[in-house]
Amino acid sequence: MLEGDGVEIRYGAVPAIREITFRVDEGEIVCFVGPNGAGKSTTTLGVAGVLKPTKGTIRFRSRPIGGLDPEIIVSLGIALVPEGRRIFSRLTVRENLVVASGLRGGLNNVASLHERVLALFPILRSRYGSHAGHLSGGEQQQLAIARALLTQPKLLIVDEPSLGLAPKYVDLVLQTLRELRSAGTTLLVVEQSMKRALDLADRVYLMRSGRIVLEGASSELAGRDDLESVYFGQKASH
Amino acid sequence: MNPIQLIVDALSQGSLYALIALGIGLVFGVMRMINFAHGELIMIGAYALVVPSASDMARPFIAAWPAPLLIAAVIGFVAVAALATERFAFRPLRRREVDSATLLISSFAVSYLLQSLVLFFYTGRPKSVSIFPSLTRQITFGGVRVAMVDAVTILVTAALLAATVVFLRRARAGIEVRAAAEDFVMARMLGVKANRVIALAFGLSGAMAGAVSLLFVAKTGVLDFRMGVPLAIAGFVGTVIGGVGNLVGAVLGGFFLGAASVLLQALLPEELRPARDAFLYSLVILVLLVRPQGLFVTRGAGERI
Amino acid sequence: MTRKRFLAAFPAAGLIPALGVLCVVVHYLGGPLLEGALTEALVYMVMVIALYVFVGNSGIISFGHVTFAMIGAYASAWQTCCAGMRGVFMPGLPDWLLRVNMPTTPATLLAALLAAAFAALIGVAISRLGAFAAPIGLLSLLFVIKTIYENWTSVTAGQSSIVGLPLDVDIWTALLWVFAAIVVAQLHARSPSGLRLRASREDEAAARASGVTIWKERLIAFVLSAFLFAVGGGLFGHFLGTLAVSEFWLDMTFLTLAMLVVGGMRSLTGAVVGTLVVSAVRELLRAFERGIDIGGLDIHAPEGTQEIWLAVILLVILIFRPQGLVGDRELGRPVVK
Repeated sequence: MLEGDGVEIRYGAVPAIREITFRVDEGEIVCFVGPNGAGKSTTTLGVAGVLKPTKGTIRFRSRPIGGLDPEIIVSLGIALVPEGRRIFSRLTVRENLVVASGLRGGLNNVASLHERVLALFPILRSRYGSHAGHLSGGEQQQLAIARALLTQPKLLIVDEPSLGLAPKYVDLVLQTLRELRSAGTTLLVVEQSMKRALDLADRVYLMRSGRIVLEGASSELAGRDDLESVYFGQKASH
Repeated sequence: MNPIQLIVDALSQGSLYALIALGIGLVFGVMRMINFAHGELIMIGAYALVVPSASDMARPFIAAWPAPLLIAAVIGFVAVAALATERFAFRPLRRREVDSATLLISSFAVSYLLQSLVLFFYTGRPKSVSIFPSLTRQITFGGVRVAMVDAVTILVTAALLAATVVFLRRARAGIEVRAAAEDFVMARMLGVKANRVIALAFGLSGAMAGAVSLLFVAKTGVLDFRMGVPLAIAGFVGTVIGGVGNLVGAVLGGFFLGAASVLLQALLPEELRPARDAFLYSLVILVLLVRPQGLFVTRGAGERI
Repeated sequence: MTRKRFLAAFPAAGLIPALGVLCVVVHYLGGPLLEGALTEALVYMVMVIALYVFVGNSGIISFGHVTFAMIGAYASAWQTCCAGMRGVFMPGLPDWLLRVNMPTTPATLLAALLAAAFAALIGVAISRLGAFAAPIGLLSLLFVIKTIYENWTSVTAGQSSIVGLPLDVDIWTALLWVFAAIVVAQLHARSPSGLRLRASREDEAAARASGVTIWKERLIAFVLSAFLFAVGGGLFGHFLGTLAVSEFWLDMTFLTLAMLVVGGMRSLTGAVVGTLVVSAVRELLRAFERGIDIGGLDIHAPEGTQEIWLAVILLVILIFRPQGLVGDRELGRPVVK
């Protein structure tokens, strides 16, 4: 469904990611794992159209999307829940959802569109009129995912869903992601924790310093005992 | 001067500057650009009232039309002009992802271009034009005489502010504008079309400028190709006092600047009156020394400044 | 040190001989009209270099530097004007000033010092303002000073012109001043203060985090640029021979800014090249406004087209080459961003 081939993205003169080749098949959950600064978020921003690749191609359902505007990419069916959630804190929960409703909904079925995500995240219903900035971290994360879901994505990219969340929320969010996959959404998740990545995903790409250093099915990788050293770069991957 | 009249005059001037600051703030919110051409939008709205010529007795053009048509025409014309500047000057720059300094200079270039065009077609001689002559009357309000045009300015501004608030709160497009102002990229990632939101902001900003054109000409009756400059400066300074990036602050800042300007004029001794602006802006500098982020900053305005 | 590395370290070293050659060629081979145009360009060049010192190094746009040209021009006129007529134009000047008769050069320097002192005063406020508030503050400053000068009739002749200033600025005088400005700008740019300021230009938050106190460096650049711009103002008055407050408003602001941007905001070479290019374009447009004979046809552009074209050219440069003609290059070396 999603393919990256030799993707490079630079910040100014410095490449942030290089020779990134990956794929996400329909119905999968794929994880990009790695320490801070590995380039995971940069890759997702490249897919979402926020950053433009300087080399390589990105294809979504065989269509090249590298360098397209974000609003076009989301209309093609890719939604990104970025790192830090980036909810509109000065708007209410309802207004946050309204912003995302414009893409697929007419003015008429706004209410029914909201109903579906509110069913998935009941806590948002009780906070419907509150300013989003007043929500807790976990609630904000749910709002961010709810917003993205309103664009009816085929591929949902979530960048560090567990960052800064209390443990109960972490489990809730990860469980929600699994449910979304069961309901037919393909997922690409960025994670810092190797354990959570292996737990959640079908396949994992381990990134470090802007490159992919290891990739494979979770079932295979889970058995390796050198993962920690590869993660931190103390040993070259095979 | 009667204190009530003074207060009304101050409110009227404050309203005008608040409208100017609102127009500037709308565009700044979505584009992070201070539109130096905003003053010229006001100016060309005023000049659209007369036929291009070199004489100082300007022949009315739109100024001769019946009131509803006149209002619609000027506001429409300025809104379209604002959209044109967005489409042909600012959008190409945006597509190239230029930095904010370049945007600032380009808005100054657009400003200078508009001034030069008007200078070319109308020459530099100030012209007089009369619109809404009925507004020059004074009305008596509970025993006090008040200039009609001042009362109208206050009411029109209040109405436009209210309409803007309703739009930003209720309309989907308004909510999109607010979202874009807070985090433009995130809004785009949710499907908000950048071009549409920015064009909307420019169109509204232009409509506000057109309203200011009408109110200003109704009050002063004089056209000058540089008339937009002190108005724009007042708008920008109001925005800065209010806190850059903060729409409510901009409106309040503009309002206070306008009101203070009138009050200062009345309080200053005769000889110092021409230096009123000097005093006013020196006061502004003092304010900024104490609070460089502005007077009405809401939380979260930090990095944006 | 190899020549390339020397040029990389001191790009101005290439500019000075290049300008010298240009002036010699124009003086001996061009007519008086061309020489006059080049002299005017050199006067503006001092201002544009001054603008680069602040805008180019700090990244903060200034719409108000012409204030210092105004202060410098009038302060120098107070010392040099007008063969006994000074009291007629500016009766409010104190007696000792009316009697002073300075040669242009020291007069200009003193006037520039006055402007620099004023810049130091308000610079404390300005350098604390952010990237959006500072340009607005500076434009407001120009507006305020202009209003004051327009009304302070006894000392500035208000809205009337002062005529009869000694015409002391010929091509060689202007050139020497340009050399001085180039050297000063170069030294500042490579000084620790200049380097720190440029570091802050790219990312204010990062620079602050690494310990650079930005406002001090900005203030230094601001005062230095005010000094140089005021020198330009003094030269302007003694080149034209007349002074009017109206000269120091939006046209000069636009022109100097356009010259800097067209050449390239971030380099000294850009300031020099931009000034020459824009001046050349202006001369061409002026010629059209005067009327040119092309194969028997008299082509005559109506007055006022010059400004329109300049604005259009600036916009085109901004859209298609925002880094300016010279880009980030100093003469001799591309700058890694």
